[in-house]
This record gives sequence, C-alpha cells and structure tokens, in this order.
Amino acid sequence: MINATKKWIFLKISSAILVPLMVWFLFNLVSFYDRDYEEVLIFFTNQPTKFLFSLFIIFAYFYSALSISEVFEDYIDSEKLKNVANKLLYLFAIIIPTSTLLLLYKLTL
Amino acid sequence: MENKNPLSPHIQIYNWHISSLISISHRITSIINIIIVTLICFWVAFLFLGNSNYEIIQKFFQTFLGKFLIISTVWSFSFQVLSEIRHIFWDLGFGFELKTSNITGLVVIFGSFILTIFIFILGKNLIL
Repeated sequence: MINATKKWIFLKISSAILVPLMVWFLFNLVSFYDRDYEEVLIFFTNQPTKFLFSLFIIFAYFYSALSISEVFEDYIDSEKLKNVANKLLYLFAIIIPTSTLLLLYKLTL
Repeated sequence: MENKNPLSPHIQIYNWHISSLISISHRITSIINIIIVTLICFWVAFLFLGNSNYEIIQKFFQTFLGKFLIISTVWSFSFQVLSEIRHIFWDLGFGFELKTSNITGLVVIFGSFILTIFIFILGKNLIL
C-alpha cells in the first residue's frame, strides 16, 4: 500500500471518529462556556467527559494535520518549503495536544 | 525523488459553483477549526492557573467578542461536520451526480446555520 493510500485511510477513519466527538463537544461547549471556574473544571476533569475530550483533542489534531498537509501538497511548489511546513505542522500537532492532556490529567490529581 | 505532481490551479481562475464554494470553505474551516481547538487547549491551561486567573476568561465570554467567538466556533464546526458527512457518503459511492452534489452542497451551507441554532437551543438547556 502506498503512503498516499495509507494517509487517505487514516484521514477517513479519523474523520468518522471526529464527527460524533465534534457534535458532542459543541452541545457541551454552548452549555458551559459562560459558567464559573468550578463548573468548567468539573466538566474537563470528570469522567466520561475527560476521556471524550481527550479523544476529541487527539483526533482533531490528527485529522487536521493530515488535511492541512494535503493543502500544502496542493499549493506549495517548493519541496524544501513543503517539508519544513509539514514537519512544523506535525510537531505542533504532537506538542499542543500532549501538553494539554498532561495538564488536564495533572488537574485531576 | 523529484515530485512531479501538478499543483492545484489558483482558485481565482475558477468560476464559482456550489461545489467549489464548499470545497474551499471546507479547507478554510479545517484551518480555522484547528486554531479554535488550540484556543480551547489554552482555555484548559487557564484552568490550571486557578480561579482568580480564570475570571479573565469568564469575563471575556460575556463580551460581544466572546459570544461571537463561540457562535463562530459552533458554525465552523457544524459546517465541518456536515461537509465531512457529505464526504463519507461520496467515499461510500453515493451522491456523485451533479444535481445530487449541488443539493447536498446547499444542505451543507444552510444546514450549518440550522445546526448552529439547533445546538444553541438544545445545548443551553443541557444539564452538565
């Protein structure tokens, strides 16, 4: 299987997982965004919301990294620039969710 | 190895159709959504700073800009959800006919606004 096919399959699987997670998060977002500290903290640190939010963050970054790299593929001509852009994108997609999840699980302790 | 793949023609040379509008909007909302998810991550980080610092975020969400940001987030995610569902149907082999494609494109555009209103009405009554 060539890399492009693997990438397409990962993109489709992650999008199918992400759609219900996005809907779940949106319903919750509008219900708690203007609440006070304690209520927002309870949402992010209690189960099952913590687990679902973790999944949402992981799949959102995974899906976005793959789909934005497709945009780079389509619109950036220089191979060197494309490689740098992709590496920065993947680094960003690893660092931000990992540090957020570490903070989130530290908040619970 | 040198990449021989052609680049996509610049969007300015196309005549606008529903399909092209949805396609470019899908890509733009993908980028906007990852910026929003990153802001949500910073929001979680603010929780770590404690109650007194969190008041800044709470006050921001009560401003016009804060509410606009939340409404835009819900619309942008709703658009992405409906557009992704359209893509999943395409991947399963349905909806390629021009007429069907135009109809589903319109469903994505108008449906995203309807879904935004629906999420706000239902979400506001949701008990955590």
